[in-house]
Amino acid sequence: MTPHAQLNEMDDAALMLRARDDDRDAFEVLVKRHQNMLLNFFARSGVQYDYEDLVQQTFLRLYRYRNRYVATAKFTTFLFLLARQVWIDELRRRKRHERLVKGLTAEPRPEHAGPSAADAGAAGGMDVGAALASLPEGLRQVVELGVYQDLPYAEIAAILKIPVGTVKSRMFNALAKLRTYLEEK
Amino acid sequence: MNLTAHLNELNLPEAAAFRGLVERLRSMPERMPAADLTGRIMAAVDAERGRARRRPLSPWWGLGAAAVLTVALSLVSVYRNGCKCGTPPPDGLSWLAAAQEPDGSWSPAKYGGAEAYRPALTALAALALARAPDSRYAPQLQRACAALASLQTADGAFGGRGREQFYNHALAAFALATLYPGQPSLKPTLERAVAFSRARQTAEGGWDYEPQSEGNTAMTAWQVRALACASRQGFAEAQIPLRKGLRWLRGSAREDGSVAYHRTSSACSDSLAALAAYALIADGKAFPGLPELGRRVAGSLRALPAAGEGADCYRDYAKTLAFESAGAGAQAEAVRRQMAVQQKAGCRDQWESVGGRLYTTALTLLAAR
Repeated sequence: MTPHAQLNEMDDAALMLRARDDDRDAFEVLVKRHQNMLLNFFARSGVQYDYEDLVQQTFLRLYRYRNRYVATAKFTTFLFLLARQVWIDELRRRKRHERLVKGLTAEPRPEHAGPSAADAGAAGGMDVGAALASLPEGLRQVVELGVYQDLPYAEIAAILKIPVGTVKSRMFNALAKLRTYLEEK
Repeated sequence: MNLTAHLNELNLPEAAAFRGLVERLRSMPERMPAADLTGRIMAAVDAERGRARRRPLSPWWGLGAAAVLTVALSLVSVYRNGCKCGTPPPDGLSWLAAAQEPDGSWSPAKYGGAEAYRPALTALAALALARAPDSRYAPQLQRACAALASLQTADGAFGGRGREQFYNHALAAFALATLYPGQPSLKPTLERAVAFSRARQTAEGGWDYEPQSEGNTAMTAWQVRALACASRQGFAEAQIPLRKGLRWLRGSAREDGSVAYHRTSSACSDSLAALAAYALIADGKAFPGLPELGRRVAGSLRALPAAGEGADCYRDYAKTLAFESAGAGAQAEAVRRQMAVQQKAGCRDQWESVGGRLYTTALTLLAAR
């Protein structure tokens, strides 16, 4: 078995511990393993054109903070904590610039723009995407982590820094709102 | 508890409805990353690793940083430097052509400048010659391009370290992209140059030669100009770093239209605002709002220098670009008149000691109408 194949066999925590010791190959395996998940996390967050940049920022932050990772924490929890912080920073940045530049809500480079309504519709995701986008951020994040990532509520609570009971109530409210939204459509 | 367990707690009709909803949510098509996403992420990580390794650990770091800053400030002058500012000398183009070395480059040291900036000054001289109204300097331009290509290093840059390397790279890449239509053999050189830009872009979208910086406005504006030009010439790899660079510049503009060197610094200058304004207007056309922002930044510029400000070809060159692109031709003319006045008065450009006569002559020609 090649050294790279051996790395592919390792779990996230073991890879992260190697990355902490500046093992570049181990870090690359982590990137390959989780980039799709993060990409869709940001895409479903309402990012229209630069979700790949946010994925890159998250991994860069993961690299910078690699020494803070302790093996007792689940790796995805750690990664989502960082991704959430990147997203919060992005939202803050957008708010700052909204004051400065009106009408900059989209930067249409055809190859980077989000899917058009027609594309999404053809794929059957237009209504669902719009419904998700209509949710308040706090509810949408619970859906993202609970529905798409299928994380236990305790882990969601740790990532969002809220009680498990709040996760539960937010999930219920989010699903109820989505249901209403989609039924009205 | 997870979602499944949670839904099991609900009454049957509600649970069934929510399960259907969850299934529908999960059936939403997933996005796939670009083929090179992993490579880009790892390039950014490698750049971070490189910065971390270069980071001095000794208490002398503060002193070293101060020294670097001093050198840096003097080197910025390389670009602003060097001239008796004003209208281009009547024989400016022919003087530049005559000053070209046999290998096609220009030697700054022969004319009072720093030799470390040979690629950058070769680029500026070539750009100035390219403004000739006819093709009389085509042979010189061909030799200049060949010289720049030969100065390129394996990593796609054009020599030097730190500040020198970044300025050499940005100006050489910009010149090569500008002259590319007449020199198709430059394609691999430009591809490597774009790859270097991409690899050295910070995660935030800017460029800088200082470790741990997310970018500085001057360097980012020059890189954006180079990448925009390369993108227009069909180098698709330039598009993503260009878009990120423009976004970085957008974030550098403040509400009053001023622009600082670093986003977090308070020191603003007309040179930086003018560079950013031009890049936003000329290179941000495909992005709604950027040209308007650029015009707003240009609108905050003064045509004439404030009292106490000396001759500065770099600043004035950037201002003419910004004013012309913003449609403020009269203000651009006012800048040129001021340059002529300072030239007649024999004012020494504040950066002349770094750039020498090549620098001031080239920038003065480039600022001319």
